[in-house]
Amino acid sequence: MDMFRYYLKLSLRNLMANRLFFSLMITTLAVGVGVFLANIAIIKTMTNDPLPNKSDRVFNVSFNIWPNNNPSAKLLPIMRYDDAMHLLKNDIATHSMIHYQSQVYTRAIDSKTLSRVKAKVRATTPGFFPLTDAPFAFGGSWSDDYATQVVLGHRMNQQLFGGGNSVGKVIDVEGKPFEVVGVLKAWQLKPLFYHPGNDQAFEVIDDIFVPIETAINNSWVVQVQSRSAERIDSVSETRGKNHFFIHAFVQLDRPAQKIAMQNYLDDYSILRQQGGEFLRENDNRLLDVNQWLELNKVVDERMLAFGLATSLFLAVCIFNASSLLLARYHSARFETGLRRALGARVKDIFYQGLVESTVIGICCAILALIFGWIFLKLSLRLFPDLEHISDIDGSLMLTGVAIAMLTSFVSMIYPLLKSCHGSVSTTLK
Amino acid sequence: MLKMNNISRIYRSDTIQTHALRDFSLTVNSGEFVAVTGPSGSGKSTFLNVAGLLDGFDQGSYELDGVNIKGLNDDQLSRLRNEKIGFIFQSYNLIPDFNLFDNIDMPLRYRGFNAKERKRRITNALEQVGLSSRGNYLPSQLSGGQQQRVAIARALAGEPKILLADEPTGNLDSLMARQVMDLLHQLNQEGSTIIMVTHDPDQARAIGRNIQVIDGQITDHSIYAPMTDNAIIEVSA
Repeated sequence: MDMFRYYLKLSLRNLMANRLFFSLMITTLAVGVGVFLANIAIIKTMTNDPLPNKSDRVFNVSFNIWPNNNPSAKLLPIMRYDDAMHLLKNDIATHSMIHYQSQVYTRAIDSKTLSRVKAKVRATTPGFFPLTDAPFAFGGSWSDDYATQVVLGHRMNQQLFGGGNSVGKVIDVEGKPFEVVGVLKAWQLKPLFYHPGNDQAFEVIDDIFVPIETAINNSWVVQVQSRSAERIDSVSETRGKNHFFIHAFVQLDRPAQKIAMQNYLDDYSILRQQGGEFLRENDNRLLDVNQWLELNKVVDERMLAFGLATSLFLAVCIFNASSLLLARYHSARFETGLRRALGARVKDIFYQGLVESTVIGICCAILALIFGWIFLKLSLRLFPDLEHISDIDGSLMLTGVAIAMLTSFVSMIYPLLKSCHGSVSTTLK
Repeated sequence: MLKMNNISRIYRSDTIQTHALRDFSLTVNSGEFVAVTGPSGSGKSTFLNVAGLLDGFDQGSYELDGVNIKGLNDDQLSRLRNEKIGFIFQSYNLIPDFNLFDNIDMPLRYRGFNAKERKRRITNALEQVGLSSRGNYLPSQLSGGQQQRVAIARALAGEPKILLADEPTGNLDSLMARQVMDLLHQLNQEGSTIIMVTHDPDQARAIGRNIQVIDGQITDHSIYAPMTDNAIIEVSA
């Protein structure tokens, strides 16, 4: 410990005595680590598992629905109202939910102003909440499928009521009163796995959750990819029609459940084929959350290319810092030689270098986190859809510190070894 | 104290082999003061580097204070250097931005002494060289002679078995050189074993035992009556 304190004192002395040199070197490393960190923050968000505890047990359901029965087209992940209702009626899954996205304008009914706010709506079923592990702050889901009741997201609750327990309060949605029966805690799924298409994967969580039957009855607009083989004039006409717009997810905790669900889908398909629908060969899919996100290409390939570029940039920064250090150690040969002559072992010199590398690493980490945050904000201008959820969180900060320490060590290792193994006798007179 | 037998040190490049020391044999007993003289490039510094364990050797054997040097690893050599040898360099080799206290403290740190013991040794060493009131001075605030005395204090603080001095007065004017030499003679009289490389024949003659090195070999080995009128009492080649 005594020697550690001594090495620390020497390191701080060196840093102070060579401020310009070390500032240059630390900045070089910090820029490289900062850019890399910003990139990792984005890629981490893109590749994040939104349901880490059960992503392998939650599945998107796709029937073999093909647009216009075109064999070259991609399978559609949306289904008709009737298909969705049929799916909900089986009791195979632990939790099932169907949904579509809508948008409304709303206000608190007792608000002093008449201005309304735009709200993103998830028209869904009660199974949505346990399936996505949505955390309730107050209340719970609605009482029946046709209730004029809503669950508010944290942000909308803040906006309409300033936060707090709003259960029992009433909001006006498109001119009709809806009772608030539940309020969610601040919550974010990264990515928003249940709706990754239409560049929605990195949107913030929905503002209002409403029974899907209520939304359809009120003809709340469908804001998702949809296909229709029949003319409909409003959403309320979608029941019983060949209008495809609903997504479905199921939670299947046991393998037997998955087999049963697959069989159920195949049987249902065959039944529809016998009725003259679903003309193509059966291709009913149960894709777990991560397979589903992969299918939807949630990870932007441009970002991966950018990741490679930032890795190379970091390597260049390390080489630069290393060559700067090599020059620095060369100029410090006298002191190293003197220490060796007076009794320092090679390992003493090495430990001293490691402590210095740690001090540099800490300075570099602090600066890298600042640069990382700045670069992230700049990068998000290129990827505006990530704006809401990409951030340098605690784990990334730790990663940044670790990378900074590692790069500091890596850049120092060669100059340090070179310095340790130089001839003592030639440096002293 | 120091026993070298047929030491050879050869520097090799791609095309040239240089015998810096060849069949170099020397025994120095405890309490002796030995001057090593010779022209530039004769091997004096190589001898001192080998003796100080700063450089290895190719052939022969070397015992320092009863320890056979051959085959020792870096840890063992470093410990021997630290415990048994005190170096005094021509250029003092003080770290310019360390004060005197910290300069002397450096080798004691590697020895593993606690703070109290280090302070005691540093204080004693500074007293021995007459600089006890200047522990907080930087080397640049001292004259050349004073800096060399600090270097001697640094060497003494470890209470070494032998002091190796490489032209310790080479950078000093005659007055300061005289002060440093007086200090070395005083240390010798107090029991220190000293080997000193010098170019100055007067200094050499003032030292009890002289060896002359030419082409890496001892060519003259003289023992003078110490501190007298330099009359030769014994000569051996």
